Amino acid sequence: MPNLPQRKAGVVACSGEELAEGTVSRLAALKVLHELRPNDTVTICLPLFLAGGEGDRAFARFHPTITVDGCELRCAARATEMYSAKPAASIVVNELLAEQGLAKPEGCRRLNKAGERAVKAVAERLTTLVDQVLGKKGRPVEAKEVGTSPALPEEAVVTCSCGSGIPIRKIAVAGQAVGIVALPLILQQFREAGRGPDEAVARELLDAVKIYNSVPPEAEPDYRVALLREYAAFCEQEHPQ
Amino acid sequence: MSDDKNRVAIVPCSGIGKPFGSVSREAAYEVCENLRPDDTRLVALSKLVLGESTACATVAHCPAITIDGCKLMCAARMVKQSGGTVARELTVLDAYREHRDLKPEGIAELNEAGLKLARVLAEEIAETVAEIGRSKAGKGGSHA
Repeated sequence: MPNLPQRKAGVVACSGEELAEGTVSRLAALKVLHELRPNDTVTICLPLFLAGGEGDRAFARFHPTITVDGCELRCAARATEMYSAKPAASIVVNELLAEQGLAKPEGCRRLNKAGERAVKAVAERLTTLVDQVLGKKGRPVEAKEVGTSPALPEEAVVTCSCGSGIPIRKIAVAGQAVGIVALPLILQQFREAGRGPDEAVARELLDAVKIYNSVPPEAEPDYRVALLREYAAFCEQEHPQ
Repeated sequence: MSDDKNRVAIVPCSGIGKPFGSVSREAAYEVCENLRPDDTRLVALSKLVLGESTACATVAHCPAITIDGCKLMCAARMVKQSGGTVARELTVLDAYREHRDLKPEGIAELNEAGLKLARVLAEEIAETVAEIGRSKAGKGGSHA
């Protein structure tokens, strides 16, 4: 994966409404997203993998994603893998609680004390996994970060109630309009590296695009042409002659 | 209306990014735990996303009321994709438009206004559940 701007870990919680462990998954994810690692994490509502668009389904291909499930059904982990990409790591609340000898939580709507302890334990494990997938091992779990990072640039963003859609851009490839996931960020990265629009860049652009998008081998020459044209236009727009 | 097949499936959106998702969840709990516990069944949206058989069977056999937190209408869409019938689609945004004084804030913990908005929504859902029950009873009577 290229070192694109704002690399963050994705967090997908099952939020299962029928079980207290589902509420634990939700509250632990929110604790990490808002308090423990706000600058390093983003989330998406699980149903958006089906109800949303291509940008939503690209979530786990774009962000190394950690799923948090309440029970052994593992809805979040399995649905993420089915519709987006295999999660980088996963947590199952009831398994983690058994491993740590913690009591079963009660109260889907309002967690009891055991539930609150469960949220803390799951949030700590999730924080550790976030640091691992981002290669930031060794940071204290409880270190509350300050400030907020900007959201992903919005360009044809397929958004959701979480505001976490992946930016996509439509380009013409051999006369057909094709949505390219993460293209705005890829173009920005190449521009920031001071690269000019030449043949070598066209090949590298295609390599970067293929990480997040399915490109038929026979269509690669057309994609290279289209990407180079798009990059030239992007550079011209950024710095008109 | 206590037979499982005669219950109404309540499906909140499970939105995790904004307070509206939390309002939908809270409203669903209020209906299923307090207002119409014998007539409703809460269905976790994540199970429908996965295609879990019991959840899909519930929405296939019971009329569903969906509560969505945003315009993407995940809950309503997932019920339909799972072969269910949406008896009524509700959105938190519509409820908020009618009650501008109840601006929800907080996701992990809703503020007082958010809880009140959820209560308003829950009462509307409870009334719809009652209407569905009356309608079923009426149809049953006509066939008797």
